[in-house]
Amino acid sequence: MGKTIRSAFPWGILALTVAAVAWAVSFGGLPPADFTMDNGTEVATVDPAKAEGNPERHVLDCLYEGLLRTEPLPGAKIDGPPNQNVPMHPAPAMAESYQVSEDGKTYTFKMRAGALWSDGSPVTADDFAWSWQRTLHPETGTRYGYQFFYIQGAEAYLAAEVKPGDPVEIELPDRRDPLQNFPRGTVLRGTLTAIEKPPEPQLAPDATKEEKEAQNRAWRSEWVYLAEVDGKPRKFCTLKSNKSAEQILNILPDFQKTVGIAAPNPQTFIVTLKEKTPYFPSLVAFYPLFAVNRKCVETHGDPDWTKPENIVTNGPFKLQFRRIRDRIRVVKNDRYWEADKVSLNVIDILALKSDTTALNMYLTDEIDWATSQPASLIPEIKARQGDEFRSAPMLTAYFYRVNTEKPGLEKKQVRQALNLAIDKQLICQFITQAGEVPAEVYVPPGLAGYANPPGPQRDPEKARQLLAAAGYPNGKGFPHVEILYNESPPTHKTIAEAIQQQWKQELNISAELRGLEWSSYLDAQNQQDYYVTRAGWIADYPDPNTFLDMWVTGGSQNHTGWSNKTYDKLIADAAQASDPQKRMELLQQAEAILLDELPILPIYHYVSKNLVKPRVQGFYPTAEDVHPLTHLKVGPRGMKAPATQEAP
Amino acid sequence: MKGSPWVTLGKFVGWRLARMTFTLWAVFSISFFLMRFAPGGPFASEKNIPEAQKRKIEERYQMDQPLWRQYFTHMGEALTGDFGICYRMPDFTVNQVIREGFPVSACLGIFALVIAVTVGTTAGVISAMNRNSPTDYGLMASATVGISAPSFVIAGLAIMLFVFMIPLFPAGGWGRLANVPLPALCLAAPYAAYVARLTRAGMLEVLSLDYIRTAYAKGLSPATVVLRHALKGGLLPVVSYLGPAAAGILTGSLVVERIFNIRGLGSHFVEAAIQRDYTLAMGMILVYTFLLYSFNLLVDLSYAVIDPRVKLE
Repeated sequence: MGKTIRSAFPWGILALTVAAVAWAVSFGGLPPADFTMDNGTEVATVDPAKAEGNPERHVLDCLYEGLLRTEPLPGAKIDGPPNQNVPMHPAPAMAESYQVSEDGKTYTFKMRAGALWSDGSPVTADDFAWSWQRTLHPETGTRYGYQFFYIQGAEAYLAAEVKPGDPVEIELPDRRDPLQNFPRGTVLRGTLTAIEKPPEPQLAPDATKEEKEAQNRAWRSEWVYLAEVDGKPRKFCTLKSNKSAEQILNILPDFQKTVGIAAPNPQTFIVTLKEKTPYFPSLVAFYPLFAVNRKCVETHGDPDWTKPENIVTNGPFKLQFRRIRDRIRVVKNDRYWEADKVSLNVIDILALKSDTTALNMYLTDEIDWATSQPASLIPEIKARQGDEFRSAPMLTAYFYRVNTEKPGLEKKQVRQALNLAIDKQLICQFITQAGEVPAEVYVPPGLAGYANPPGPQRDPEKARQLLAAAGYPNGKGFPHVEILYNESPPTHKTIAEAIQQQWKQELNISAELRGLEWSSYLDAQNQQDYYVTRAGWIADYPDPNTFLDMWVTGGSQNHTGWSNKTYDKLIADAAQASDPQKRMELLQQAEAILLDELPILPIYHYVSKNLVKPRVQGFYPTAEDVHPLTHLKVGPRGMKAPATQEAP
Repeated sequence: MKGSPWVTLGKFVGWRLARMTFTLWAVFSISFFLMRFAPGGPFASEKNIPEAQKRKIEERYQMDQPLWRQYFTHMGEALTGDFGICYRMPDFTVNQVIREGFPVSACLGIFALVIAVTVGTTAGVISAMNRNSPTDYGLMASATVGISAPSFVIAGLAIMLFVFMIPLFPAGGWGRLANVPLPALCLAAPYAAYVARLTRAGMLEVLSLDYIRTAYAKGLSPATVVLRHALKGGLLPVVSYLGPAAAGILTGSLVVERIFNIRGLGSHFVEAAIQRDYTLAMGMILVYTFLLYSFNLLVDLSYAVIDPRVKLE
């Protein structure tokens, strides 16, 4: 037997190879898209309730549309120089108009007549009310919950905070699928009368965070809720083992009664805010507040509803297919209310993880828009590609958080000295190289109505004096300090090295470098397990508050241990202030405190870095780096010099 | 039946499968705990969320359970072959990701392997035939370069040459035949080089044997001697190298996949580990372990078939 098999072996291998090659070659190519863009990475999800991040924004802005959308200000010139931002504003979209009440707290949106979902059904106020509730449901897992916190009751709903006397909604464990929070199980509505809590467990003083959490979780699960439902008192508990109470899945504040989101009729959507929030329309135009199709979600469940064959959306484009870590292809949605103004039919959104690859593909005409470039090549790109490289200041900040609870760093003079010793100009000129703006102040300049307080200028001599005053003349006796950064992209390391060197040279402080990959870096930062750490912030909405309110005492993004009562009060007062000018002044005072106390060291403000082919028309830089694809037109491949045009 | 080749084969395969099961379990367990003890988690984010919401998410993914219980839950899932939803790409299940990525990596791997074997053996045979000639030195020098140069260097050079200087191929992407040659070549280069060296050594050994002298003495042409008689023996070391090579090509495609933006398994492997996507990472690790083991088994089997001197034991 051996011999026959043996002689057949080479032929077998050959046949196998031929078959494999034939199979490999057999998958056909794709018809080319009208417009191809790089999106930096694979998007995590196309569910606006779960997404976070900028790549997701590119895709979600194609697929969905909120009550409002970001558009150029009417009359703004959109064919200006490639480094000049076009002013944007939130313009009517799924809502054709909206009114704000006298006190600025109630927004009444009138839904657009004729706005349709991609399955042909009308987009109604109920769609938004349901979608916002879904996003706020604690099980949905939104990362952008805080974008809703301006709305009355929204924070308590997301945090599932209930106390006796509150109207509550109680979900029974009869869901169709226990892992799907929508459609929900039977929901009982009533009033919470009391919570019976067993005695809180005493923790060993050396218990770890995990042990504490586990114990707290176990304790909470034993709570028994007494509520009046339809006039009858009933007992509920999330534990099945508690035989004296009915088992429930969730107990949440009654959404209809406590949250300021209402759809009195299909054409009217009313939002009630806690405070006057001048930038609320900008939040409405941002994807966490988009709507999803209830029927689609409830029919297919999560995550199947996001599959191209199931998904129902309301944006200018529809999802055609997704290839994981390759591309998302969207095609024009003919049911979109402004479909006649959309000129692109097929768009490919590529998940190019490597910016070098993106550049190669851009240079060989494989993509029309590259969203990131290797920092080291930017001067050459600028020189070679000229106006194709469009770059303008963004509403962002690159800064270092300082752990104000570490020895040495707890002293204000030390933080000031560290700040004054950094040569930010040099970092922007020789490391980042794309025209980034050295940051003397923290809030990026260019926000309408806001004037930054004066920021400290680089002054190594003064830095040395401050350091000496703090008790470390010429860095003598300065405690251990290290700079934490995430390793990718490598620019963070280069910047950290430059700062390390400057501190050594000017202050004789030897900082160590600690590079970590993203998850570990985030973890270290969240646990406040660092000395100085690199960070960045992108405006969630065009207002100084998005940069300033994170530094209040115990703020969820603070992570520095810094606390200042005056600062907290200024931020709170600004939120209450009804006069816009007064509000900006309060925020300016707050920033002045921040720049004096320096729990963070501002380094620079990012610029947008877009490489766009000349054949693409209607592309302009914006301060938030948003670029509505509905406005783009493309000429034939290889076309030069773009034509001029006016904003609609 | 004692001594029947089928019984020996059955025993051999059975024993190897048992060992593979053990290896899979060991790999699963070690990776599981390594992942869990790494700082950060799949839901780490710059944006912090309320405690109640965090608790709900952890409950949903059973991360509130004690670690040992999670371990057994996930092992149970792995046993049924359903790895669940990717924690970091909640729109997809791990099985979907593998189903989409595997054919791409496999296709790239097959091309690379074919290139490696064809180029490698040809170069090796030519070298052996022209022993100590400039051709031999040239080929073996380039083989040394091929083995030692990392794939991102080769890829960079290939892109410069064949994308920009001589625009033959696209710079990246996957789906067209034109997308295949560059990454396959870069992936194949070190293996081709190694195969060339193995072939040369194997051929030199065989060419000095008596039966080759006999063949020449019979008056056969050098081509016939090499192709019909010497090659069979000379290629044996290459066959035994194919298992590790196939496995290495599949797992080694991470860098090449990144550079050429190919949506294969390699890119998921790295991303899953970096993003702490527990389910996806476990799925990938098990798939890779399984592939590595299977290739080695196949090669050992085929070795026994083509070389009569080898006995399965």
